[in-house]
Amino acid sequence: MKRVIVACGSGVATSQTVASKVNRLLKENKVKAQVEAVDLKSVDRYMDSSVAYVAITKTTKTYPIPVINGIAFLTGVGQEKELKKLIEACK
Amino acid sequence: MKEMNDSILHEELVLLDFEASSKEDLLVRLGEVLVAKGYVKPSYIEGVLERERNYPTGLKTEGVQVAIPHTDAIHVNKPAVLVAKLKTPVVFNEMGNDSNEVEAKIIFMIAMKKAHEQLDMLGSLMEVFSNTEKLMRLDNSNDRSEVIKLLSN
Repeated sequence: MKRVIVACGSGVATSQTVASKVNRLLKENKVKAQVEAVDLKSVDRYMDSSVAYVAITKTTKTYPIPVINGIAFLTGVGQEKELKKLIEACK
Repeated sequence: MKEMNDSILHEELVLLDFEASSKEDLLVRLGEVLVAKGYVKPSYIEGVLERERNYPTGLKTEGVQVAIPHTDAIHVNKPAVLVAKLKTPVVFNEMGNDSNEVEAKIIFMIAMKKAHEQLDMLGSLMEVFSNTEKLMRLDNSNDRSEVIKLLSN
Protein backbone atom coordinates (compact mmCIF):
# COMPACT_ATOMS: atom_id res chain seq x y z
CA MET A 1 0.00 0.00 0.00
CA LYS A 2 1.55 3.31 -1.06
CA ARG A 3 1.83 6.06 1.52
CA VAL A 4 0.86 9.71 1.12
CA ILE A 5 1.57 12.17 3.92
CA VAL A 6 -0.30 15.30 4.98
CA ALA A 7 1.07 17.81 7.45
CA CYS A 8 -0.13 21.12 8.83
CA GLY A 9 0.81 23.60 11.53
CA SER A 10 -0.67 21.87 14.55
CA GLY A 11 -1.31 18.30 13.49
CA VAL A 12 -4.77 18.01 14.96
CA ALA A 13 -7.63 19.50 13.02
CA THR A 14 -6.57 20.44 9.52
CA SER A 15 -4.22 17.64 8.45
CA GLN A 16 -6.43 14.90 9.92
CA THR A 17 -9.51 16.26 8.16
CA VAL A 18 -7.70 16.59 4.84
CA ALA A 19 -6.24 13.09 5.30
CA SER A 20 -9.66 11.58 5.79
CA LYS A 21 -11.15 13.49 2.85
CA VAL A 22 -8.30 12.53 0.51
CA ASN A 23 -8.47 8.90 1.67
CA ARG A 24 -12.13 8.84 0.72
CA LEU A 25 -11.43 10.42 -2.70
CA LEU A 26 -8.62 7.95 -3.42
CA LYS A 27 -10.84 5.03 -2.45
CA GLU A 28 -13.60 6.34 -4.77
CA ASN A 29 -11.03 6.43 -7.55
CA LYS A 30 -9.82 2.92 -6.68
CA VAL A 31 -6.30 4.11 -5.91
CA LYS A 32 -4.34 1.86 -3.57
CA ALA A 33 -2.73 4.43 -1.29
CA GLN A 34 -3.14 5.39 2.36
CA VAL A 35 -3.01 9.02 3.50
CA GLU A 36 -1.49 9.71 6.91
CA ALA A 37 -1.46 12.94 8.90
CA VAL A 38 2.02 13.52 10.27
CA ASP A 39 3.70 16.19 12.34
CA LEU A 40 5.09 19.04 10.26
CA LYS A 41 8.49 18.61 11.88
CA SER A 42 8.74 14.95 10.85
CA VAL A 43 7.87 15.42 7.16
CA ASP A 44 11.48 14.87 6.04
CA ARG A 45 11.61 11.48 7.73
CA TYR A 46 8.74 10.22 5.59
CA MET A 47 10.26 11.19 2.22
CA ASP A 48 11.75 7.75 1.51
CA SER A 49 8.57 5.88 2.32
CA SER A 50 5.96 8.14 0.70
CA VAL A 51 4.86 8.71 -2.90
CA ALA A 52 3.44 12.21 -2.36
CA TYR A 53 3.23 15.03 0.19
CA VAL A 54 -0.04 16.91 0.56
CA ALA A 55 1.01 20.29 1.94
CA ILE A 56 -1.27 22.62 3.86
CA THR A 57 1.46 25.03 4.87
CA LYS A 58 3.74 27.07 2.69
CA THR A 59 6.54 24.91 1.31
CA THR A 60 9.84 26.72 1.00
CA LYS A 61 12.03 23.79 0.05
CA THR A 62 11.92 21.28 -2.78
CA TYR A 63 11.05 17.68 -2.01
CA PRO A 64 12.03 14.49 -3.82
CA ILE A 65 8.38 13.49 -4.11
CA PRO A 66 5.48 15.40 -5.73
CA VAL A 67 3.96 18.10 -3.52
CA ILE A 68 0.20 18.48 -3.75
CA ASN A 69 -1.64 21.62 -2.68
CA GLY A 70 -3.72 20.41 0.26
CA ILE A 71 -5.63 23.69 0.62
CA ALA A 72 -7.52 22.75 -2.55
CA PHE A 73 -9.18 19.91 -0.61
CA LEU A 74 -10.33 22.36 2.08
CA THR A 75 -11.78 25.02 -0.18
CA GLY A 76 -12.74 22.82 -3.11
CA VAL A 77 -11.01 25.37 -5.36
CA GLY A 78 -8.68 23.52 -7.73
CA GLN A 79 -9.46 20.21 -6.04
CA GLU A 80 -9.92 18.26 -9.28
CA LYS A 81 -6.51 19.30 -10.56
CA GLU A 82 -4.71 18.41 -7.32
CA LEU A 83 -6.53 15.09 -7.08
CA LYS A 84 -5.44 14.21 -10.64
CA LYS A 85 -1.85 15.12 -9.73
CA LEU A 86 -2.05 12.94 -6.62
CA ILE A 87 -3.50 9.95 -8.47
CA GLU A 88 -0.65 10.23 -10.99
CA ALA A 89 1.89 10.22 -8.15
CA CYS A 90 0.32 7.08 -6.71
CA LYS A 91 0.70 5.11 -9.92
CA MET B 1 -28.00 9.92 10.31
CA LYS B 2 -25.37 10.74 12.93
CA GLU B 3 -26.19 11.01 16.64
CA MET B 4 -25.73 14.60 17.71
CA ASN B 5 -25.51 14.21 21.51
CA ASP B 6 -21.76 14.75 21.37
CA SER B 7 -22.20 17.50 18.82
CA ILE B 8 -19.50 20.07 18.29
CA LEU B 9 -22.04 22.68 17.23
CA HIS B 10 -24.17 24.49 19.82
CA GLU B 11 -26.53 27.45 19.52
CA GLU B 12 -24.67 29.18 22.34
CA LEU B 13 -21.59 29.09 20.11
CA VAL B 14 -23.21 30.67 17.06
CA LEU B 15 -22.59 34.42 17.06
CA LEU B 16 -24.41 36.64 14.58
CA ASP B 17 -23.47 40.14 13.40
CA PHE B 18 -20.21 40.07 15.32
CA GLU B 19 -18.01 43.15 15.14
CA ALA B 20 -14.29 43.35 15.78
CA SER B 21 -11.76 46.11 15.31
CA SER B 22 -8.95 43.82 14.12
CA LYS B 23 -8.07 40.17 13.61
CA GLU B 24 -6.38 40.01 17.02
CA ASP B 25 -9.34 41.65 18.75
CA LEU B 26 -11.61 39.18 16.99
CA LEU B 27 -9.59 36.12 17.99
CA VAL B 28 -9.29 37.23 21.62
CA ARG B 29 -13.00 37.98 21.98
CA LEU B 30 -14.13 34.78 20.27
CA GLY B 31 -11.66 32.81 22.38
CA GLU B 32 -13.08 34.43 25.49
CA VAL B 33 -16.52 33.02 24.66
CA LEU B 34 -15.07 29.50 24.52
CA VAL B 35 -13.17 30.07 27.78
CA ALA B 36 -16.19 31.53 29.57
CA LYS B 37 -18.32 28.53 28.63
CA GLY B 38 -15.67 26.07 29.72
CA TYR B 39 -14.84 24.52 26.35
CA VAL B 40 -11.20 25.60 26.49
CA LYS B 41 -8.53 26.66 28.99
CA PRO B 42 -7.49 30.34 29.12
CA SER B 43 -4.22 29.36 27.39
CA TYR B 44 -6.25 28.58 24.26
CA ILE B 45 -6.41 32.26 23.32
CA GLU B 46 -2.66 32.78 23.18
CA GLY B 47 -2.37 29.45 21.39
CA VAL B 48 -4.75 30.62 18.68
CA LEU B 49 -3.00 33.99 18.31
CA GLU B 50 0.40 32.35 18.05
CA ARG B 51 -0.75 29.76 15.56
CA GLU B 52 -2.36 32.43 13.43
CA ARG B 53 0.93 34.35 13.37
CA ASN B 54 2.89 31.28 12.24
CA TYR B 55 0.35 29.31 10.25
CA PRO B 56 -2.52 31.55 9.14
CA THR B 57 -5.94 30.04 8.65
CA GLY B 58 -7.71 32.19 6.06
CA LEU B 59 -9.32 30.18 3.25
CA LYS B 60 -10.24 31.58 -0.17
CA THR B 61 -13.48 29.69 -0.39
CA GLU B 62 -15.81 30.65 -3.23
CA GLY B 63 -18.75 32.93 -2.55
CA VAL B 64 -17.84 33.87 1.00
CA GLN B 65 -14.35 33.68 2.47
CA VAL B 66 -13.74 32.05 5.83
CA ALA B 67 -11.08 31.45 8.46
CA ILE B 68 -10.58 28.43 10.71
CA PRO B 69 -8.46 29.59 13.67
CA HIS B 70 -7.46 26.82 16.08
CA THR B 71 -4.58 25.57 18.19
CA ASP B 72 -3.23 22.46 19.92
CA ALA B 73 -5.52 19.97 21.62
CA ILE B 74 -3.78 20.50 24.96
CA HIS B 75 -5.71 23.75 25.47
CA VAL B 76 -9.09 22.11 24.89
CA ASN B 77 -11.44 20.77 27.58
CA LYS B 78 -14.45 19.88 25.47
CA PRO B 79 -14.42 19.82 21.65
CA ALA B 80 -16.55 22.39 19.88
CA VAL B 81 -16.70 24.75 16.92
CA LEU B 82 -17.67 28.36 17.47
CA VAL B 83 -19.24 29.96 14.41
CA ALA B 84 -19.08 33.75 14.17
CA LYS B 85 -20.75 35.62 11.32
CA LEU B 86 -19.09 38.99 11.00
CA LYS B 87 -20.86 42.25 10.25
CA THR B 88 -17.88 43.31 8.14
CA PRO B 89 -15.07 41.02 6.94
CA VAL B 90 -11.80 40.93 8.83
CA VAL B 91 -8.52 40.38 6.98
CA PHE B 92 -6.71 37.10 7.65
CA ASN B 93 -3.65 35.78 5.89
CA GLU B 94 -4.18 32.79 3.65
CA MET B 95 -3.36 29.28 4.80
CA GLY B 96 -0.36 27.98 2.86
CA ASN B 97 0.21 31.34 1.15
CA ASP B 98 0.71 33.75 3.98
CA SER B 99 1.47 36.75 1.84
CA ASN B 100 -2.06 36.59 0.42
CA GLU B 101 -4.96 38.17 2.25
CA VAL B 102 -8.40 36.75 2.80
CA GLU B 103 -11.46 38.85 3.69
CA ALA B 104 -13.00 36.43 6.14
CA LYS B 105 -16.71 36.93 6.72
CA ILE B 106 -17.47 33.73 8.62
CA ILE B 107 -15.11 32.47 11.30
CA PHE B 108 -15.05 28.88 12.49
CA MET B 109 -13.02 28.81 15.69
CA ILE B 110 -12.18 25.16 16.26
CA ALA B 111 -11.50 23.54 19.63
CA MET B 112 -10.65 19.92 18.93
CA LYS B 113 -9.15 17.01 20.79
CA LYS B 114 -7.63 14.06 18.98
CA ALA B 115 -10.48 11.56 19.12
CA HIS B 116 -11.94 10.10 15.93
CA GLU B 117 -15.61 10.90 16.47
CA GLN B 118 -14.99 14.59 16.23
CA LEU B 119 -12.99 14.19 13.05
CA ASP B 120 -16.08 12.86 11.29
CA MET B 121 -18.05 15.90 12.39
CA LEU B 122 -15.19 18.22 11.52
CA GLY B 123 -14.97 16.56 8.12
CA SER B 124 -18.64 17.20 7.35
CA LEU B 125 -18.26 20.79 8.54
CA MET B 126 -15.37 21.26 6.17
CA GLU B 127 -17.39 19.84 3.28
CA VAL B 128 -19.47 23.00 3.55
CA PHE B 129 -16.45 25.08 2.58
CA SER B 130 -16.38 23.63 -0.92
CA ASN B 131 -20.14 24.13 -1.26
CA THR B 132 -20.60 27.70 -2.50
CA GLU B 133 -24.39 27.56 -2.31
CA LYS B 134 -24.33 26.51 1.33
CA LEU B 135 -21.78 29.15 2.22
CA MET B 136 -23.97 31.85 0.65
CA ARG B 137 -27.01 30.60 2.56
CA LEU B 138 -24.94 30.63 5.72
CA ASP B 139 -23.87 34.18 5.02
CA ASN B 140 -27.49 35.26 4.57
CA SER B 141 -28.84 33.47 7.61
CA ASN B 142 -29.83 35.27 10.79
CA ASP B 143 -31.07 32.24 12.62
CA ARG B 144 -28.83 30.20 14.92
CA SER B 145 -30.64 26.93 14.44
CA GLU B 146 -30.60 27.40 10.66
CA VAL B 147 -26.83 27.96 10.81
CA ILE B 148 -26.40 24.72 12.73
CA LYS B 149 -28.66 22.84 10.34
CA LEU B 150 -26.68 24.09 7.33
CA LEU B 151 -23.46 22.91 8.95
CA SER B 152 -24.71 19.57 10.13
CA ASN B 153 -25.35 17.41 7.09
